[in-house]
Amino acid sequence: MNLPLKFIARSERFLKIIFGASLFIVLVMGGVAYKYIKELSKSIDDVQHNYQVHIALERMASALKDAESGKRGFMISRDSTYLEPLLVSSSAFDNSLKDLEELTKNNPEQQKNIAELKIKVDKNIEIFQKTLELSTSNDFDSPEFIAAFREGRQTMNSVRFKINQMTAHENDVLSLAREISSKRLSNAPMLVYYVLILSLLILLLTYLQITKNLKILKEKNELLETFKKSTIQSEIISKHGNWIWHIEENIYEYSDNLYRLLGEEPQSFDPNLDNYLSFVHPDDVEKLMEHVEEMMENEDLPFIHYRIIQKNGAIKHFKAYAKLLVDSDGHKRLLGTTADITNEIENYRLIEKRNLELERSNKELSSFNYVASHDLQEPLRKIQTFLSRLEDKEKDKLSNSGKLYIERIKSSSSRMRSLIDDLLQFSRTNKSEEAFEESNLNILLETAKHDLAEIIGDKRARITSDSMPSMKVIPFQIKQLFLNLLSNSLKYSRENTPPAITITYSLTNASDLPKIKYSKFNTYHTITVQDNGIGFDQEYAEKIFILFNRLHNKNEYSGTGIGLSICKKIVDNHNGYITAVGDTNTGSTFTVYLPKT
Amino acid sequence: MQEDFTYVVLADDDEDDRLFFVEAFDELKIQTKVDVYKDGLELMDALNHPDAVLPNILFLDLNMPKKSGIECLIEIKSNKKFKDIAIAIYSTSASEEDIEDTFVQGANIYIKKPSDFNDLKKILSDVVTINWQYHTNALDKDNFLLRL
Repeated sequence: MNLPLKFIARSERFLKIIFGASLFIVLVMGGVAYKYIKELSKSIDDVQHNYQVHIALERMASALKDAESGKRGFMISRDSTYLEPLLVSSSAFDNSLKDLEELTKNNPEQQKNIAELKIKVDKNIEIFQKTLELSTSNDFDSPEFIAAFREGRQTMNSVRFKINQMTAHENDVLSLAREISSKRLSNAPMLVYYVLILSLLILLLTYLQITKNLKILKEKNELLETFKKSTIQSEIISKHGNWIWHIEENIYEYSDNLYRLLGEEPQSFDPNLDNYLSFVHPDDVEKLMEHVEEMMENEDLPFIHYRIIQKNGAIKHFKAYAKLLVDSDGHKRLLGTTADITNEIENYRLIEKRNLELERSNKELSSFNYVASHDLQEPLRKIQTFLSRLEDKEKDKLSNSGKLYIERIKSSSSRMRSLIDDLLQFSRTNKSEEAFEESNLNILLETAKHDLAEIIGDKRARITSDSMPSMKVIPFQIKQLFLNLLSNSLKYSRENTPPAITITYSLTNASDLPKIKYSKFNTYHTITVQDNGIGFDQEYAEKIFILFNRLHNKNEYSGTGIGLSICKKIVDNHNGYITAVGDTNTGSTFTVYLPKT
Repeated sequence: MQEDFTYVVLADDDEDDRLFFVEAFDELKIQTKVDVYKDGLELMDALNHPDAVLPNILFLDLNMPKKSGIECLIEIKSNKKFKDIAIAIYSTSASEEDIEDTFVQGANIYIKKPSDFNDLKKILSDVVTINWQYHTNALDKDNFLLRL
C-alpha cells in the first residue's frame, strides 16, 4: 500500500530532475542559436564590407581610366570637354580613398596598401598634369613628352596593379572569414537535430512517468473512495461519528453520522462549537470544555464521557476521544471520534442491577447456610442428646414398643443429621480462585482412604491406585471427591463380595472426550474409579448426579443422594467433567476429567 | 484457689446445654467445681470482679446475646490477669471461619457440641485432664479442633 505512494514521491523527484534538465537544454540551445545567428550576421557583414571595398576600388580604377581616356581624347582632338572627367576624377580619387581608408581601418595590411596607392595615385596625377601641360604646347615629339607619357602609363599600370592587389587581398580576407564561419556553422544542423531528439526523448519519458503516476493516483483515489464508504458504513454500524477541528482557522468538519447521533439530518447545521454545545447536557458542558482544552496540550488523553440531549428530548451517552495532529506545515488539527454508548451504558446498568440481585440472593443463601448449620443443628442435637439421656436412664422402664419407638426416633434423627451435614457440604463446595494450589493427588487420595479406614476394614475392601501427578486444584475439594467416590463404591458393594476398587490415571485429548464438542483445554487428566459393586442401569447414568436423586430405597442402602452431586459440583469447579458407566453385573465406573493447565 | 479440684466455668445462653454440662460433670465424678453463666456479659462481670476466683478452664459458647464468645475471647486474651485460663470454645457450629477466628484469637481448643450425652462426658473428661502446658506448646491448626 505504501509502495506506490513512495513511488510517486520518488517520481516527483524524478520529474523535477527532468524539468531541470529540460530547462538547462533549452538555455544551452538558446545560447548556441544566438551564437550561430551572430556568426551568420557577421559573415553577412564581411561580405557587405568586401563588396563595398570592391566598389570603392573599382570606382577608383574606373576614374583613372576615365581620366586617361579623357587625356588621350583631348590630345587628339584638342577639345577641352574631354578634360572634364579629369577634373571629376581628382575629387573622386580623394573620396574613394577616404572611403577605402574608412572601410579598411581595421585591416593594417590594406591601410598600408592604401598609403602606397595614395602615393602612386598622387604621382600619377602629377605626371598626368605634366603630360597635359606638355601636350598643350603641342610638343608631342619632344623626348620630354614621350618620357612623361611613358612614365604616366607606367604609374597608371602600377596603380592598376595595386588596385588589383588590394582586390585580391580583400578576396583573400573574405574567403578566410567564410571558411572559418562555414566551419563553425557546419555543426549547427546536426546539433539542432540531436537536441531535438533529446528533447523528444525527455518529453516521452515525462509523459510516461506522469501517466504512471496518474494511474497510481487513480488507484489510490479509488481505494480512498472505498475506505470512505466503509468508514461511513462502520460509523453507522458502530454508532460513532468523526470530526476535525482546524484549530488556527477555527473551522470544524463533522461527519454525517455525527449529525445522526445528535438526532439531526446530516449537515443540517453549521459545524461549530456553539452549535454543538447546544446539544450537550448542561451539567456536562463545563467538563467537556475543560477536556477539549486539555486535548490541545496533551498528546494522549483518556476517553471523555458526557451526555447530550436530542431535540426530541432523548438523552444519549457519548464517549469521545481526540488527538492533536500537526502537519508538515505546522497546521494544528484535532482529530476526534465520538461514539454513542447509550446501549452499553444501559446494558451495564442492567448487569449492575442483576449483579445486585445476585449478591442479595447470595447473601440469602449464605444466611440459609448459617440457619442450616447452626439453628437447625441445635434442636436436632438436643433431641439426640435427650434421646441418649432417655436411653441411659429410663430404658428399663419402657415397654418393648417404647424401646422400638426410641430406636426409630434415633435412626430418623441421625438420618436428618447426615442430610444436614451433606447439604452443608454441598453448599460450601464453592469455587474460589485463591483456593487453587499445586497439590499431590496421591496424598489427597491417601487422606480420603484414611478417613474411610474403618469401613474399608469392616468390608475387607481392596483399593489399588495408579500414581497421579501433581495438579493445580482445590485440595480439600479433591479429597472430598475421592472420599465421596470411594464411599459410594464401598456403600453399594455386593453382599458377600469384598469390594475391589481400582483407581487408574491417564491423559486424554479433548477431541476424544465423550459428549464434549468444544473445549477450552487440549488435554485432560483422566481419573477412573472402578468397582465391582452392584452397579446401576446405564439409563440412570445422568440422573445419579442430580441432588437428592437416589436409585435405591433408603432402607436398603443408607445415603442422602447428595454425595455424587457434591462430586459433580467439585468437578465443575475445576472446569472438568464427570461421567458414570454402570452395569448391574460388573459394577460401576466413574471417570473424572480435569483440565491439564 | 485450692489445687485439689479443677475449677470449670461455662458461658452458654442455652439452658439445655448448661443442664447437660452440669449433669455430665456430676456423673464424671472428677474433682471439679462448675459455674455457669448465661451470657458473655455476665461472665465478664464475674471475671472482672475484684474478688473473683479465676477458673482453670473456661468453656465459651460462640453465639450468645449481649456479648458473643469471640468478644469475650478477645477481651480475656488482652488482659494479662487472665493469662493462665485455658479457653475451650464450645459451639454447635464447626465452620471453618469460626475455627480459624478463634484459633487466631488464641483459644486453646475447639469443641463441637456432641449429640450424644456419653460423647459429651468423654469430651469433658478429656479436656479437664489435658496437660495444658504441653497442649498449648504443641498447638497447631490440626489438633486445635478436638476430635473423638
